[in-house]
Amino acid sequence: MSELRRIDEVVWEIPAGTRPDMRVPARVFADAELLDSIDDGSLEQLCNVATLPGVVDAVLAMPDVHQGYGFPVGGVAATAPPDGVVSPGGVGYDINCGVRLLAAPLTAEELGRRREPLVHEISRAVPAGTGRGAGSGLTGVRLEEVLEQGPRPLVERREVGTHEDLELTESDGRLEGADPAAVSERARQRGADQLGTLGSGNHFVEVQRVEEIHDREAAEAYGLRQGQVTVLIHSGSRGLGHQVCTDFVKRMDAGLGRHGIRLPDRQLSCAPISSREGREYLAAMAAAANFAWANRHAIANRVREAIARVLGEEAAAGTRQVYDVAHNVAKLERYGGRELCVHRKGATRAFPPGSPDIPERYRGVGQPVFIPGSMGTASYVLAGREGATERSFGTVCHGAGRRMSRTRARKKVVGAELRRMLEEQGIVVRCPSNTGLAEEAPLAYKEVEKVVAVVERAGLARKVARLRPIGVVKG
Amino acid sequence: MPYRWIEHTGELEVELEGSTERDLFEAGFDAMRELISDGEGAQRLEIPVKLEGRDRAALLADWLAELAFLAETRALVPDRLFTLDLEEDGLRAMVQGWEGAPQHLVKGATYHRLCFERTDAGWRARVVLDV
Repeated sequence: MSELRRIDEVVWEIPAGTRPDMRVPARVFADAELLDSIDDGSLEQLCNVATLPGVVDAVLAMPDVHQGYGFPVGGVAATAPPDGVVSPGGVGYDINCGVRLLAAPLTAEELGRRREPLVHEISRAVPAGTGRGAGSGLTGVRLEEVLEQGPRPLVERREVGTHEDLELTESDGRLEGADPAAVSERARQRGADQLGTLGSGNHFVEVQRVEEIHDREAAEAYGLRQGQVTVLIHSGSRGLGHQVCTDFVKRMDAGLGRHGIRLPDRQLSCAPISSREGREYLAAMAAAANFAWANRHAIANRVREAIARVLGEEAAAGTRQVYDVAHNVAKLERYGGRELCVHRKGATRAFPPGSPDIPERYRGVGQPVFIPGSMGTASYVLAGREGATERSFGTVCHGAGRRMSRTRARKKVVGAELRRMLEEQGIVVRCPSNTGLAEEAPLAYKEVEKVVAVVERAGLARKVARLRPIGVVKG
Repeated sequence: MPYRWIEHTGELEVELEGSTERDLFEAGFDAMRELISDGEGAQRLEIPVKLEGRDRAALLADWLAELAFLAETRALVPDRLFTLDLEEDGLRAMVQGWEGAPQHLVKGATYHRLCFERTDAGWRARVVLDV
């Protein structure tokens, strides 16, 4: 885009005056190489986001940005209540899609030959790639309770997971203001039997080893050490969250005229935060977010059960949660004395040391952030820095970022060959379909190292550890 | 074929063509059948669908989303559109198929770049699917 001008080493800006409908500038965090690779319409989408009523300061694209529906994936936008809008498309269909990292009490060397049985057992324990009839995570707990309170009822009533897991989850695994009554019957129908299931697409459970420690102090605070086995879980709110988004995109689209809002793309449909639709969306979104945290909590419990069967009860009991963080959510947060509704779509909250919103035990080093690489490549643990508060509404990227469509990946990659290649690299693969495997091939994604390097150079977060996959269960 | 697939980085778009508005809804069914189909099952299903809305573009997106919803919640692998009545304020249809293991490549239909328009040759629509 020719209007792009460099304003910093790794920050580029499209001025607000570029289009008459833009209210604020659009900023992109990228180096020259990543910027060149953004050729899929995501910057035009970012400029569309800059037209939203009540948007403040600037809309942002993280270095893993790619084209999404309405909002680009890797996009951040903050709006000011009461007249600023909330947009369901700015959160995305998979509300509170996110990642949870577990750290096991043994090294990859100690795991040894039990690696394959462990990955196999996890694949048996965590239903994947199916739409219905796979989960039973709600046994003994009502859906209403999960929508309102997240995983807490699972801990307190069924002894699934621990109170420490709740403490080490963003927002303690519960967004305030959740209202189950705002979630449609159709959404409940989709989610009722999906708690504790992975889903499809790019969701996964990955068994890893800590390959390198970059920041000893932060790694120690997070309980990570060289060679340790970790398990990274990537999933979200499944069909329930999808339906909440669908319901409110439709409802807000129908109400745009009433609020006098004109948009360049219907998927950006929105409503003032203070309006009835705005308030009800936030209440339904919070309920779906709570469902997603309960879902990852239930998956983590199934992973611990698998660890118990393969490695013993002691190893399962010693498998602690490092943190759980969302990357598709809108939250009311305070910046410079203003309360703002921060939309993060494919972008991760990354609060700095001292923030009261992160667990006390991490306040000395900053909030943990997990950046999964593509399948077969490294993932990163980062720690939030003050720069993110100042420059990106406390936000960093969420992954490597797709650069090739699923269809094109399927044409270019033979799933069976990819499976063999990954296994030759020492990665045990469990995936229900070779086609699904091909869609998530590493060549379909940007290089995570380059994405993380930009985040670090921009002062948004610092590298803590690099994790190398040794087994993957794909949805 | 009255539909064709257009690919983008993170999405799947279907373009539909026909002589009438109704043709586009039929073509949408055909496109979803191709995406969802997976083998053959023994248990036949016949499911009535009723959707409301005067906005044709939104109604088309709802129609495709409904087929994805039925695949997810009823395991419907659709194979035949038995009836389809397109009315001014909505549609009624009878969808047939079997209970199977439908592919869940598509989770729904979006309003992103949604388009439903008359052309010199008839009608054309475009829907981006959530995958």
